[in-house]
Amino acid sequence: MSAVRQSGSGVFSMNGREWSLLVACLLAIAIFSVASPHYATQGNAVTVLRNSIELLLIGLGMTLLLAMGGVDVSIGIVMGLAAIAIGRILGADGSPFVALVAGPLVGALLGCVTAAVVVLGRVPAIVGTLGLLGVYRTAVFALLGGQWLSGLPSSLNDLLATTVLGIPVPALVIAVAYLIVWLALRRTPYGLHLLAIGNSEEKARLSGIPVIKVRFLTFVISGVLTGIAATFYVATYRNVETSIGSTSALDAIAAVILGGTSILGGRCSLLGTVLGVLLLRILQNGLLLIGVPSLWQPVVTGVLIIGVLGFEAVSNRLPLTRFQRAPA
Amino acid sequence: MRTLRNLQGPALTLALLCALWLIVIVGLLALKPSVFNLGTVTTILQFSTILALVGLGQGMVILAGGTGIDLSVGGAVSLSAIIALLSLKLGLPPVLLPAVCILTGAMLGALNGLLVNGLALLPFIATLGTFFVYSGVALAVTGGAAQSGVPGWLLVWGRGVVAGIPVPFLTLAIPCFALAGLALMATAWGRWIYAMGFNERSARLVGIPVDRVRFILYALSGALAGAAGLVSLAWLGSGRPNIGQNLELESLTAAMLGGIAITGGRGGVGGVFAAVLLLVTLKTGLLQLNINTVWQVGIVGALLVFVLLADRLSQRWRS
Repeated sequence: MSAVRQSGSGVFSMNGREWSLLVACLLAIAIFSVASPHYATQGNAVTVLRNSIELLLIGLGMTLLLAMGGVDVSIGIVMGLAAIAIGRILGADGSPFVALVAGPLVGALLGCVTAAVVVLGRVPAIVGTLGLLGVYRTAVFALLGGQWLSGLPSSLNDLLATTVLGIPVPALVIAVAYLIVWLALRRTPYGLHLLAIGNSEEKARLSGIPVIKVRFLTFVISGVLTGIAATFYVATYRNVETSIGSTSALDAIAAVILGGTSILGGRCSLLGTVLGVLLLRILQNGLLLIGVPSLWQPVVTGVLIIGVLGFEAVSNRLPLTRFQRAPA
Repeated sequence: MRTLRNLQGPALTLALLCALWLIVIVGLLALKPSVFNLGTVTTILQFSTILALVGLGQGMVILAGGTGIDLSVGGAVSLSAIIALLSLKLGLPPVLLPAVCILTGAMLGALNGLLVNGLALLPFIATLGTFFVYSGVALAVTGGAAQSGVPGWLLVWGRGVVAGIPVPFLTLAIPCFALAGLALMATAWGRWIYAMGFNERSARLVGIPVDRVRFILYALSGALAGAAGLVSLAWLGSGRPNIGQNLELESLTAAMLGGIAITGGRGGVGGVFAAVLLLVTLKTGLLQLNINTVWQVGIVGALLVFVLLADRLSQRWRS
């Protein structure tokens, strides 16, 4: 029902949750601008947007996963592995165009591995991906040999730091990715199937939806988006550190939940995720600038997740009881 | 072969675990004969104590079903140890240190129970959130530095060895497992846990206080994490804010390897105990072979995935 109603809305039409997120972003910016003289500068704004690129792409995939009743806690390390592949190609003076393909390819492959375990093996997503997280982390260490992959050539950056028709390439890529995911979600049977599986996998299966195919595909899509994120990561920082992506999964889950996508399934907001990512990055950057040590960042993110979900649970309950008490 | 096929449930799990354990030991002996002596056994049991306590709580939470899982155990271990030591510095009498440590853990676990029960959040999301909050607070409050100030008498308990067996293992891990096993087998509460894990709806219909049992299990998991934090203090002599690292993965692997079904209602704590010993033997063996510790997390993770897939496959064969 809600899926049908949502499919009528436009690409950028906003609901109450998204408006309040936008207001929260502006409010946070206003407060931090007063609190810190270094906050409201052009350089800082660019930093915040720059830091959001990877999380925006990973967040789009995580939105699909959570709306489907799935999750992938290994996604940050998947980005790390894709980044290592890209870095190795660049380091061996490979063509930047090969490097461009390598990221999404590795992401898709690892998405297939995750899907094979979680979907084909019928293992709960959280436990399966937690196990894979351990395996991938060791793989990152083994591949890097405990050292950073650094001093990579700037060929990829030269390619991605340009503008097309005055629009920076990262913004263009994110817009295209957003549009494709939005179209898939709202204008194709895949989207309806995904939301139906999120509501109830059992009912979706009984009504003839190809549950396994849709779930498998979603993990692969998430992998591809993460691979693209890895490309931007390597292009910008030109190194791969051993702790790459260690908080990406938590940040992405927090952004999706902030954005109003329901992990109980059936409700999904891509625009909410985008605003959730921006709010998260604005908060993290602002807290750092007013002197809160970065060690507190995971605490803030965790409190945001629990706080938003707790608030939703309480506020969902109140109107319901009032409604039930009201005379018919 | 026929006897193996006739074995079912817990007995089969235990038999397979013992076989695996023997393979690990024989493999290690073949690679490095000097590995196993009494000192190594003591080390293995010492390491096992922490994982055994945490794995027990994790196993009980999963056993009760309702997609129950406690990802926050590692954070609870770190944070309860740190809070206990910091409150000592604020003037708490040292005698109360063990009580404060376990109580703090119980309160952290009760918060999980409140989120899962009272607010009806999905367990994996709620405890993922609290995991980052607990471990993050432990790191941020201390700035990542180890905290000193553990009283001497606690070290006597934590580092004591009787006949090659560490005292904490003897006085904490074994009694906890014995009590839990007894409670699961012989008390109404234990049967309730199986019943709600097997089918929550019918458990509610026959009048089992599902919510209360679940809340208590989360609090218990937290209290056991607090006890594990206490063991780490007494053994290492300092409070390390990252002592609980990777415990969520290891405790999950121990519970799954020990034959507890991820959907709940099937399995027992005896298997978890055997799985903990197997895991720690494997880890210690790898350490002795000078294999980098970063390989441990990968091997434990691979083991978790393997066990889950093997469980599904064996179900398909039987049906």
